[in-house]
Amino acid sequence: MTWALTRKLLRDVRVAWIVVATLTFLFQILWARVTSRVTTQILTALQGAGVSLEVLQEVLLGKEFLGQMVQAILGGEQIRLDRPDNFMSISYVHPLPLTILGIFAIGRAANAIAGEIDRGTMELLLAQPIRRTQVIVAHLVVDAIVFPALCLVLWLGTYCGTWWMGLQALGNQRVDPLHFLPALMCVFGLLFAHSGVTMWISSLGRHRPRVWGWAITIFLCMFLLNVLGQIWEEPLGWIRPYTVHYHYLPQCMILHDDWYGSANAWLHLLVLLGVGAIGYLFAWVTFCRRDLPAPL
Amino acid sequence: MLLRTEQLTKHYGAITALDHLDLEVVPGEIVGILGPNGSGKSTALRLLLGFLRPTSGRASINGHDCWSDSVNARRFVSYLPGELRLYENMTGVQLIDFLSRLRNYKPTDRLQKLQRLFDIDIERPLAQMSSGMKRKITLMQILLPETPLVILDEPTNTLDPNMRDHLLGQLVESAQRGQAVLFSSHVLTEVEHVCDRVAILQQGRLVHWQNMRELREVRRVRVTLSQPVANLAAPENVAALENHGSDLHFQHRGPLPELLQWLAQLPVADLKMEPMGLSEIYQKYHRLNGTSS
Repeated sequence: MTWALTRKLLRDVRVAWIVVATLTFLFQILWARVTSRVTTQILTALQGAGVSLEVLQEVLLGKEFLGQMVQAILGGEQIRLDRPDNFMSISYVHPLPLTILGIFAIGRAANAIAGEIDRGTMELLLAQPIRRTQVIVAHLVVDAIVFPALCLVLWLGTYCGTWWMGLQALGNQRVDPLHFLPALMCVFGLLFAHSGVTMWISSLGRHRPRVWGWAITIFLCMFLLNVLGQIWEEPLGWIRPYTVHYHYLPQCMILHDDWYGSANAWLHLLVLLGVGAIGYLFAWVTFCRRDLPAPL
Repeated sequence: MLLRTEQLTKHYGAITALDHLDLEVVPGEIVGILGPNGSGKSTALRLLLGFLRPTSGRASINGHDCWSDSVNARRFVSYLPGELRLYENMTGVQLIDFLSRLRNYKPTDRLQKLQRLFDIDIERPLAQMSSGMKRKITLMQILLPETPLVILDEPTNTLDPNMRDHLLGQLVESAQRGQAVLFSSHVLTEVEHVCDRVAILQQGRLVHWQNMRELREVRRVRVTLSQPVANLAAPENVAALENHGSDLHFQHRGPLPELLQWLAQLPVADLKMEPMGLSEIYQKYHRLNGTSS
């Protein structure tokens, strides 16, 4: 029974998934192009014009100048602009793909309960002999299929982009797409956190647009608080650990071969997965106890 | 007992949607729930389906509590919602197949029979169907598995007269097969036509139970006399006799010859005789209170 429901949910999500997967894939291709242009052409041209790489690095990424702001938006790692793998890693923390992926996860979860109630189809579904728990489990299974598949497409985009732009054949500067694979766990964790929290809000609501609104507001606030906390460590730095974006550290996994030896990296990943799991748990408890309102 | 509610109550804050409802339905009977909007009909049905948690009291289907053991209770029930919303991205046959799978039921050749009966192309996308056609699809889906209890919330909404007759016929057939049918309606004639018993709700309370067989045995008689008769010695089967001079109004139950013999003794100028309907009983509770539907 759960499988029949899961298949139906997968069918429902396929169009949105294809659109998001295509956009994510294309963004990786585009970013590989940007990486190629910046690292092999623009920086060379600037150096030819007398601008040293160190000065550029200091102005863009140094703490004295734009560094904090740029790093806050493009990831927290100390990256080197002249290294293609460093520059390519920005695509995993760039706000554009994160927004696309986040909206997908929020939209799906908002649709899951509040959307069904809003449309009036939850009544049709729960008139059949299925447990409310099965509805939540079916959505969890869909997340467990759809999100990893999206992550895989993201990585395929990285692979194809870096191959197409010749970044995999740059000698000691080469970009190794395999280094990007562990970061997919972070991407999955972030998507799952978005989905779990939104699922909880969805289980409380009956209007899909309101759930969308609340979830987007919450995650946008988290994103902004994380950015502001990076820029002004005093007095806002303390708030960052309470945002999911603080725990989203894919660059750490991409750029450090020994990341898996760091307990911190695992801890951040666990926080993301934990937020998603707790969201789902709360959604399950709430949904199983609540009245199902009549469709408006 | 297939369905039983005991003091079933539902409050929404200060509002009492259903007030201590006691209801019993046995296999093979058709029970109608009548009442205007807001009288608690849909709330009662939604409590039976486990959509709502009762504030107090309990409901059970085949011994399974409708809230705490709702899944097992729903195995015995097919339900047609009042507000029909379907998955518009499916075709009719996909919807029937999906809902049947959730029930672990395989549509049999009865599907083709119902398809012919309802005269509908189930391969069409639901998004391209009219509301009446969608209702036919859902009716097919609830009639297919032949569950012991069929619950319908205002089932004839948006159906044309022919289809309404087909549906009511199907409900009678279902009852003859031993299924119980519980449905809510605003339409007195269809309830009179098919129901064995009728519950009338008023502001969440069950105010009247009517056995329809008993009601069908009663005739409403209006007699116009050519001159007033002072002392009328009415036979035993005459009830609620009102003597307005030359007009007599009364109810009669039992064999006609006895009544006709009595009337033959009176100076009858005109006679009207019709079966008793629910209308008078319903109006007693609703129109008089200004809450008629």
